[in-house]
Amino acid sequence: MTTKMFGAPIRRTEDPRLLTGRGGYLDDLGRGALAAAFVRSPHAHARVTDIDVTGALDVEGLIAVYTYEDLPERLAEALPALIPHPALHHPRTGYALARDEVNHVGEPVVMVVARDRYLAEDAAERIVVSYEMLPPVVGIPAALAAEHLVHDDVPGNVAAHLVQEVGDARAAIAAAPYRLELNLAVERSASTPMEGRGVYARWDLADESLRLYTSTQTSTSVRAAVASRLGLSPTKVEVVAPDVGGGFGVKIMHPWPEEFLVPWAAGLLGQEVKWTEDRREHFISSAHERGQLQTVRVGFDDDGHLLGLDVEIWHDNGAYTPYGIIVPIITATQLLGPYKPGSYRVEFSSLYTNTVIVTPYRGAGRPQGCFAMERTMDRIADELGLDRTVVRERNLIRPEEMPYDHQMTFQDGRPLIYDSGDLPETLRKIKALVGWDDFAAIQAEAQAQGRKIGIGIACYVEGTGVGPYEGGHVQVETSGRVLVSTGLTSQGQGHQTAFAQIVADELGVPMSDVTVTTGDTRRFGYAVGTFASRAAVMSGNAVALAARNVRDKALKVAGEALEVDVGDLELVDGVVRVKGSPDVSIELRTVAVLANPLRYAFDDSAKRATQFAVGNTAGPPIPEDEEPGLEGRDFYSPTQSTFANGMHAVVVETDPETAEIKILRYCVVHDCGNLINPMIVEGQVHGGVAQGVAGALYERMVYDGSGQLLNASFMDFLMPYASEMPKIEIDHLETPSPLNPLGIKGAGEAGVIPGMAVFAAAIEDAEGFRITQMPISPSELFHLRQLFAAGELEPVDRRHT
Amino acid sequence: MKVVGEATLHAPVARVWDALIDPAVLVRTIPGCQQLEAVDDDEYRMTVTAGVASIKGTYLGTVRLTDQQQPSSFVLRAAGSGAPGTVQADVLVTLADDGQGGTRLTYDADAVVGGAVGGVGQRMLAGVARKTAGEFFRAVDDVLGGHAAASVPGPVLPSASSAGADSSVAQLQPTVFTRPPGSPGAPGMRSLALAAAAGAAIALAGVALGALIGRRR
Repeated sequence: MTTKMFGAPIRRTEDPRLLTGRGGYLDDLGRGALAAAFVRSPHAHARVTDIDVTGALDVEGLIAVYTYEDLPERLAEALPALIPHPALHHPRTGYALARDEVNHVGEPVVMVVARDRYLAEDAAERIVVSYEMLPPVVGIPAALAAEHLVHDDVPGNVAAHLVQEVGDARAAIAAAPYRLELNLAVERSASTPMEGRGVYARWDLADESLRLYTSTQTSTSVRAAVASRLGLSPTKVEVVAPDVGGGFGVKIMHPWPEEFLVPWAAGLLGQEVKWTEDRREHFISSAHERGQLQTVRVGFDDDGHLLGLDVEIWHDNGAYTPYGIIVPIITATQLLGPYKPGSYRVEFSSLYTNTVIVTPYRGAGRPQGCFAMERTMDRIADELGLDRTVVRERNLIRPEEMPYDHQMTFQDGRPLIYDSGDLPETLRKIKALVGWDDFAAIQAEAQAQGRKIGIGIACYVEGTGVGPYEGGHVQVETSGRVLVSTGLTSQGQGHQTAFAQIVADELGVPMSDVTVTTGDTRRFGYAVGTFASRAAVMSGNAVALAARNVRDKALKVAGEALEVDVGDLELVDGVVRVKGSPDVSIELRTVAVLANPLRYAFDDSAKRATQFAVGNTAGPPIPEDEEPGLEGRDFYSPTQSTFANGMHAVVVETDPETAEIKILRYCVVHDCGNLINPMIVEGQVHGGVAQGVAGALYERMVYDGSGQLLNASFMDFLMPYASEMPKIEIDHLETPSPLNPLGIKGAGEAGVIPGMAVFAAAIEDAEGFRITQMPISPSELFHLRQLFAAGELEPVDRRHT
Repeated sequence: MKVVGEATLHAPVARVWDALIDPAVLVRTIPGCQQLEAVDDDEYRMTVTAGVASIKGTYLGTVRLTDQQQPSSFVLRAAGSGAPGTVQADVLVTLADDGQGGTRLTYDADAVVGGAVGGVGQRMLAGVARKTAGEFFRAVDDVLGGHAAASVPGPVLPSASSAGADSSVAQLQPTVFTRPPGSPGAPGMRSLALAAAAGAAIALAGVALGALIGRRR
């Protein structure tokens, strides 16, 4: 009997290949290709007045130099505004190569193609671009002041303004017995995957078709965009995401200028062209996230119940808005977390600055929302002298209130309705795991020894598995091998393992027989992409449904061959057999043979399907409405997102002298519905927590007043190494989603969401004064201590400790 | 594609004029020019070896001098083609006394470039064109100033290379000029060719050929 694979902690089958250097990443491909390099703007805001390429002409091996005026009609248009929204009243996008103005350091101005990258870089550095400087707008305060404009025709630098309101929050706050106001700030950070972006194009000139490899999170949408701009039928464009060394959101942004320019140049030159992003380019030419200022006004009663919540958010969207206002919408809606706000008003302004564009980075606006909500919860608790978990418990949505309708619109344009979850149980579990109720004694003991330790908790709900759809294709070959494909891409999430587990169970075959392909338009052309913790939910269910179609067909074909009613058959261990009479059986691979009636025998197995071997001559060889082959395809398209939740707790110790922040314990309770593979889910949580720690303690984008990014290298941009990572203690809850056949919810982003909130809470608890900005470095903490000693910071009144 | 530029030549206008319409001078001064053949009074056929990397090759072209306003201006109509692509260019060349005994030459070229050569980017083509024109005029200036070899090989008899000329052309006793060995711009100086055509125009057109871009290794 086959062991059930779904739910088993199976080691990732892709890892031996990836961990022994046998992965095929973008830069491993196209070794003979011409290389592209870019001349990028060194200025944050300037007008391009002249481009002199003369100096580059002496570089041996130079092939081509392109500027804006070389771009043909459709490529010369502004880049697509991918996600229109009525509130995005002034969308702006750049050009594949700067037309006349540059709006951030790193914007591409000139493309150089040469025999190899060294020569391309040599040529690029000899090209002289003349600029007329314009005043840069850097940071949210400068954008708001609007003394200067990023785009002349966007008044006030405001790209979008959106208000969502449920009930009369302002009136509720005015009438509430208690009121508080918090002013909060979150700095910029970025996905910074180990592998940057990269594009490699090759044409079949006789066929007039293009194959494009790109390190992307959405091969199908890149295909649509490239076909459209190059004037090709999508059937003439194949887009393949090879092994991708991390995405974390930045690679769902598309089409990048390079994704248009590289294939265009390859077509013009009739040769393969490749571009691989270098690290500095990734910092200044890809995308960032996170940067927000927030004001929270809250009204609550004597018990700490929320009566009204009024939040205003100023979101820095950088120079352009190609990915719309998804990030601030998510902040505005997911800020509510596991709580009932009483009444809620949220308003955000999305602002242009002369900095790199802002598009989702793992968590995608949720870490900022969680920070706002959880900072507020801690303030309420302190105001009332209540334990921080008590206030949270009193505001939680109860299991019996599920599905819970917030009466708002989520990022996918669908209602914000939580489908399931047992939030009080999640809270009970995290308190038990971290030993919340015992901490006061531990803290007092440490204090007596002159040590500063503190505990924090942060809770979140994450909308996962947004639509519109994903599909899956499952095919049983006559060898018995099962091929599974789905259109969305993989960047290290273990899809080959998880989807194989699902299909192996549905077909009753060993996992080793199942091969999974993702992100290759040659195999599956309809897909949306990998983002928003959606792959397992969307493609997992789609491949399950496709496999069920295959199973149904296998039983039907076997039933005819065995002359048995389909209802009496079962599919077990790769064999279709009669229930109760396992001797009457037929192997799945034989069913695959029979499913494709043949005229010609090319091997022994094919012989069984040839015209004189197949018995029944009464009907057509392929019954009406059927197709040859043992394969199935299906799609999963949900009515709305499914909402996972979790709570983190951290214990930190801050050095009394150096203000170094040390993590003593990090606990996670996580509920993403049914687990396909607990080991993969824990791996996702670990990775997420690492980026949560990073966002709280290390990562930031340091722009100076002129818009120069001062830490655009891994020498200067801090991130935690394994040595900075705590041991992560995890407990799971499995509250199935009622929305999909497998009852699963997404898990990819969860780990990062409460990072800033939970560290702010714990540091505040250790130090005894308010933490209102993240991330926080030892020197910043040291500075806060000085302000606190000078009486300039509000103390934290925590009577329960 | 428009390419405009100017050059100063250290000789009176009349001498410059003569040089620019003298095939024996042109063949030595057009960057990459291998052979220049007069097929009519004001029409030449030329072979230019030029190019860079994947698009280098040998180009055949014709250049016609029209609208001659001796000694102040003429128009060069150049057309050339080779494996990497094609070029057509109309170049207006004007000569004026610079007041110091020299000649101020300006050129204004309008070129259409097709084929792979056309795919390397306008600024690169224009850059190559200007550069090639500069090389051409410097070479002409050297000849005018006597810095270059004064003795130019005389015309040679029609050779196999021109045997393909049709009979009407043949009747004109085509004259073939070849580049003297070791002269400036000889093979080894891979230059934008099509410049091929007649004098200045040539260079200009060459420009177009920019693609063919020549440059020293």
